[in-house]
Amino acid sequence: MFKLLLAWRYLKTRFIALASIISVTLGVATLIVVNSVMSGFSQEMTNKLHGILSDVELVASGMGEIDRVDEKVEQIKAVLGDDLQAVTQVVRVPAMLNFLVHGQPRYHQIMLIGIDDLTFGAVTDFRPYLTNHWHRNGDVFRLQEDGYDPELPEAGWPYRREKYRHERYVRAEMERLLERPISPEAMSRPLRDLPAGYPATGPMPSAGAGSPANTGSVSGTGSATGADGALVSVAKLPPLPAEKPVLPKLSVQVAEGEGAEYVTGGSPIGRGDGTREEVWNPAPVDALAAYREKVQLTPFDPINEQRVGIVVGIGIGRLRAHDPVTGESQDMFFMRPGDDIEITVPSAGSQPRPILENCTVVDFYSSKMHEYDSAFAFLPLSHLQKIRGMIDPATGAATVSAIQIKLKPDANLNQARDRLRAAFPMVQYPLMVQTWRDQQAPLLSAVEMEITILNILLFMIIAVAGFGILATFFMIVVEKTKDIGILKSLGAPSGGVMSIFLAYGLSLGMVGSGAGTVIGILFVVYINEIADVVAYLSGREVFDPSIYFFSSIPTLLSPTMVILVSGGAILIAVLSSVLPALRAARLDPVEALRYE
Amino acid sequence: MKAKPTTHHRPTTALGPVSSSPAPVGAPGRVGGGAEPGATVLPHPQLQVQPYRANGSLVLSANHVHKTYHLGGQSIPVLSGVSLAVRQGQFTTIVGQSGSGKSTLLHLLGTLDRPDRGEICLHKQRIDNLPFRKRDLLRNREIGLIFQFYHLLPELTVLENTLVPFMIRYGVWQYWLRRRQHAEEARELLSRVGLGHRLNHRPNQLSGGERQRTAIARALVTQPKLLLADEPTGNLDAKTGAEVLDLLRQLSEQQQLTVVMVTHDEKIAEQSDQIIRLRDGKVVSATADAA
Repeated sequence: MFKLLLAWRYLKTRFIALASIISVTLGVATLIVVNSVMSGFSQEMTNKLHGILSDVELVASGMGEIDRVDEKVEQIKAVLGDDLQAVTQVVRVPAMLNFLVHGQPRYHQIMLIGIDDLTFGAVTDFRPYLTNHWHRNGDVFRLQEDGYDPELPEAGWPYRREKYRHERYVRAEMERLLERPISPEAMSRPLRDLPAGYPATGPMPSAGAGSPANTGSVSGTGSATGADGALVSVAKLPPLPAEKPVLPKLSVQVAEGEGAEYVTGGSPIGRGDGTREEVWNPAPVDALAAYREKVQLTPFDPINEQRVGIVVGIGIGRLRAHDPVTGESQDMFFMRPGDDIEITVPSAGSQPRPILENCTVVDFYSSKMHEYDSAFAFLPLSHLQKIRGMIDPATGAATVSAIQIKLKPDANLNQARDRLRAAFPMVQYPLMVQTWRDQQAPLLSAVEMEITILNILLFMIIAVAGFGILATFFMIVVEKTKDIGILKSLGAPSGGVMSIFLAYGLSLGMVGSGAGTVIGILFVVYINEIADVVAYLSGREVFDPSIYFFSSIPTLLSPTMVILVSGGAILIAVLSSVLPALRAARLDPVEALRYE
Repeated sequence: MKAKPTTHHRPTTALGPVSSSPAPVGAPGRVGGGAEPGATVLPHPQLQVQPYRANGSLVLSANHVHKTYHLGGQSIPVLSGVSLAVRQGQFTTIVGQSGSGKSTLLHLLGTLDRPDRGEICLHKQRIDNLPFRKRDLLRNREIGLIFQFYHLLPELTVLENTLVPFMIRYGVWQYWLRRRQHAEEARELLSRVGLGHRLNHRPNQLSGGERQRTAIARALVTQPKLLLADEPTGNLDAKTGAEVLDLLRQLSEQQQLTVVMVTHDEKIAEQSDQIIRLRDGKVVSATADAA
């Protein structure tokens, strides 16, 4: 009985006990928080990776392509049987994407993925990451009238119409100006003074955060933006004297501008100029040339028509500028759905040549996984196969770079892979069969190692708390030496004295780890709010979404982990009280009572 | 069997001729002669255990007890061949200078420590060689201990301090069943020692005398037959000390208690039934109060 009473009283009256409790509490809370965030992080990342990649992939080894695709798909279906849920084919090719920003060309190295939008969404998480809600269910590569994420600036068909109407007007105005001498009055006339037919919505729809780039579509030379910029600046200039006309000069500049490197010679537009194509592509692939010719014949109307749709990773089209002073992120869009951009892809075959293609951005791909958002762009599979010359003109059979497979949820991933490997032996087929884990092995193992090292460090934290308890208890034993002597003189057995300190350690551990568990769980539950408060107080954002994969701090509270951590802390508290308790039990009562 | 009332009713301030009575039974020269450190086994005729009181049975006896402390390779003999006998109802004092070994002797008698040689018997049964657990039980049930520095537990109230022996004796459940009964006993005892109004005070809120009275209540609450007191008045002023002693005497008389008290105060010793004088670890004189 005395053990409980004394353990309780010691706990109640010792400040030092409070210190031990706090150290246990902090250790436990830290462990829970860090573990939750780490496993949340890892799980979120794994889910994203898994979602973006397919379960199993048959990929061509080297630069070669997979041919006789239908045959192989049938074979896969036969091998996997009931485990197979969906299968799709993709073409993956490194490509370059370019567009103009403020009249300056901007290049982006991308991974261009040709997808079959009917089956691709069934194999990977593709559609949920699109910003237009129509695209999440329907035809992906079509520009939409509405349904875009409200976070984007004005996008879609309304934007496109307005933009190209404006451009057309500017071009017409330029041509008119070039045809006749300009009076100073005409020079000083503001550009805003638009003709009655033009919708009065402002000079450029994109006058805000970023300049939406437009490329070769304007006047087919890529110089329209330059001319446009010049015109605007002219409009801002003070009236010039009549004897120094500026615009003729300007027209010379425009003409010179045709020689600029980024000019998109191959753009399938009415005013497209065929000679440039030869410069870029002296010996085009037959299929491609035929395609080009066909396209040349049909005049393109950017106001009412779109080019082939491309879905661009949002990290390519948007620059998220973070202001450390205000703590706010400001988005700058280089392009938006409705803009035309140009891609350059290598043609298929052993001697790749650059192939230029104009596309209309139809949507952004926002997986919140920065690595993918800033590298991926999606094009219709058949179109990519066509422009790269992957279709055999004789048979009409197309090659692909990978066949992606989605398994049933309960299927064994590695077993399926091994079965496929057995069906497609490396010696016979130039194919590699990989699971998504194989593909992301370096990243996954890095994360795993991180977690291991972190757990070792966290164990150190608890060990520090344990040694704190040990030291505290030794102090208490020394302090209580006389009391121990008294108890023994009154007939308390050594075991009883020992159990005072063990009970003390136990209650210390229980209180500490209980409080730590509560604090840790609360912290995890409200971690994003806490991060906001810390950001507000310190003026620095704790978790910058533009740096990490995720928009908010992901957490995963596993009950097993919480029980393990709190139980482990209690165990450590009891274990570290064993030594002092033994010392107390072995105290000689006569020696102990001599202390005064 | 009954203690002589005259002994206990003698006023504490009395300095009458009775107090001078403790005279050595044997000649001092002979006592000194038998005290060579090496000759510890020699029987000493004057120090043979003698029945000082014919009407009391032997409660506690020590027979040629030796104790040596070892400090840093040095041997310090504290007790060399001490023998004594305490009878039922006797009030015995052990007197001696500091370092004469009187406290050590009391510890040995109270089974807090074991002698190197010799034996200690309680009710004619050897207790010095009992295992730890048995000696713990003995201290808890048979022997009450009082110390010079009170040795109360600072975290507990007066009442709880008094109840500690019961808490030690019983487990949680057993104690819970008996808690009212024991609390009642303790309260009664505390009011008898004059602390009925301070039950819920902590030791640091009490005066020295009150602390010692709490310690007495704690020692007596289990109704032991033997009370060992180690200079219970040593830390108190004369008046408080006298009060404490009076109390001790009253209680021992009421409870038929056998008391062994260590003191260096001759005046206190003179009021006891038996005085055992120690010098350098040996009994130099043992006397029964002839009155």
